[in-house]
Amino acid sequence: MTTKGNLPAASTVQETTTQKEELNKKIREQKILVDELSNLKKNRSVYLQQPNSNIFFLADRTQTMSTCKKELDNLKKEYQDM
Amino acid sequence: MAGRAVESDLAPDVGRLREEHKKVVKGCEGQIEHWRKVEKDYDSLQERLKTLPDQLSYDIMVPFGPLAFMPGKLVHTNEVTVLLGDNWFAKCSAKQADNIVEHRKKHVKRTLDDLHKVVKNFEDRASFTDDLDRVSGSKGDYVDIREEVLNDEALTKGKRRVAHKPHSKPKMDYVVALEEAEEDEEEEEEEDKEEKVRVTEGEDRDGGKGVVTEEDLWAQLDALEAQEEQLDERDRMCDLTDTNGEDTSSSSEEEKEREGTGQTNDSPKEDHATSDIHGSQLNGVLHTHPEEEEGKEEEEGEEDPNALPTIYFSHTVEPKKVRINTGKNTMLKFSERKEQKEQAKNKKKKNGKANGHSRHDQHHKITTPADIYRLFVDVVNGELIPRKSILKSRSRENSVCSDTSESSAADFEERRSALGRTLSHDDATHSDTSDCVTEEDSPPGIPLHSGSRFEAFSGTVVEKDPLPSSIPHLTIAPPALPTILERKSEELCTEAPQEPPKRVSKFKAARLQQK
Repeated sequence: MTTKGNLPAASTVQETTTQKEELNKKIREQKILVDELSNLKKNRSVYLQQPNSNIFFLADRTQTMSTCKKELDNLKKEYQDM
Repeated sequence: MAGRAVESDLAPDVGRLREEHKKVVKGCEGQIEHWRKVEKDYDSLQERLKTLPDQLSYDIMVPFGPLAFMPGKLVHTNEVTVLLGDNWFAKCSAKQADNIVEHRKKHVKRTLDDLHKVVKNFEDRASFTDDLDRVSGSKGDYVDIREEVLNDEALTKGKRRVAHKPHSKPKMDYVVALEEAEEDEEEEEEEDKEEKVRVTEGEDRDGGKGVVTEEDLWAQLDALEAQEEQLDERDRMCDLTDTNGEDTSSSSEEEKEREGTGQTNDSPKEDHATSDIHGSQLNGVLHTHPEEEEGKEEEEGEEDPNALPTIYFSHTVEPKKVRINTGKNTMLKFSERKEQKEQAKNKKKKNGKANGHSRHDQHHKITTPADIYRLFVDVVNGELIPRKSILKSRSRENSVCSDTSESSAADFEERRSALGRTLSHDDATHSDTSDCVTEEDSPPGIPLHSGSRFEAFSGTVVEKDPLPSSIPHLTIAPPALPTILERKSEELCTEAPQEPPKRVSKFKAARLQQK
């Protein structure tokens, strides 16, 4: 009985751990991305890939950086929530 | 304790059920993942489509293969082509495309909802199984009702087999009954039935039933066999006495008819009453043609229930058959050669008119596909090779050349042509059997060897020319050829092309020599 009660809990723990790992990975990526963007020269052009396609649209550097930072914050918040 | 035991009983089944539920849930979750991704893609696409017509042109990196890009400009921002499916596209504005995306998103959402429902359903079920497990285990107010099953699966299987059995059993009974009734009926049919019974016996042997009938049947079979043998002997006796040689020049149609009747009466039968077993039963060795017509009529009469048991092993005496019988392959080859020569003759005669149809002259009867191959052959290095296509003119020319060369070869040719004549004689019987039948059949003991066969034909043979404007053939008595013809013909072929223009004169010379 007791073991059975524990089983689903264990599975959920596993799930959460995997989710956390994924999130951690994403956060790391985002951090790197922000770093890269912040280190770019002023005259560098930034392109954003249209998801699910191979086209890159020219984007504003500062705007991209701000969005990326926002994304990173969101991810961090999510991670803390878990 | 009892409750404990029940739980342990249930545990594997419940576990399996839960596993199945989990499997379903997992599959659904995978699908949900997929559809979520699709939805996300559509979301981003919709976003892009909404903002795309905001500007006239966009600076983009144009993909140049999977790895390379080049800077470019995106123009016509309000023109998109939408894939409708199956490689069909619709050209439309960004807004229309947006609508389409919206429509598709709805569908995606619906699927997602369905999947969620399924997941929920199965999760509920899983929880219910958990509850069930708990309830049955704890043995509260609930009573577990169970029915003991004793080795059920195998039994049901066996029962099914038994159920099938009645179908086979009546069959056998039916057969047996028929057999009994059959005693007065046709023996032919009885034979068949017996075969059937034998088969059914083999099937039912394992069943244990019908052992008695089996023995009966075997006994009956033995009796029948004995009867058969007796009859056979009687027939043979009668056969020896009753062979009156009819004219062998029966047409092929008759032969066929005879064959047909023979086949119908093929199965050995026994006769109780009738003792008029006469020579209509041929045993295969004797090449006799007993009273064709009357015999046939009788046979037709004998198709009645009390039919006379008859085995017909009749040699078909078609005109060309003799050649095939005696000569085997070599003979066939010779005949082919002869035909080629004949064709060459036609060429010579008609010259300009000679065409592919010369082979289809009336004296070359093509009755079977084999005849086609016999008629249309190529000569390659003296070997006769069946032509692949009768429509190819090249090969025909080849053969013609070889023919002419053959005829032109001087000294050998005399013998050779003589042989050809004799052989063509055989062939002539195709067209008009009346004249040549006697000759054809006259050498009854034609040996298989070609050399000795020559001796059989050593006399001068005058051929009836089937062609209207008859060119006199070479009809020279061959001086007992000891040499093997095959080789010679090859030699001729090799020598042939040396003197092609002479050939007509050779022919004439041969004719003169004959005179």
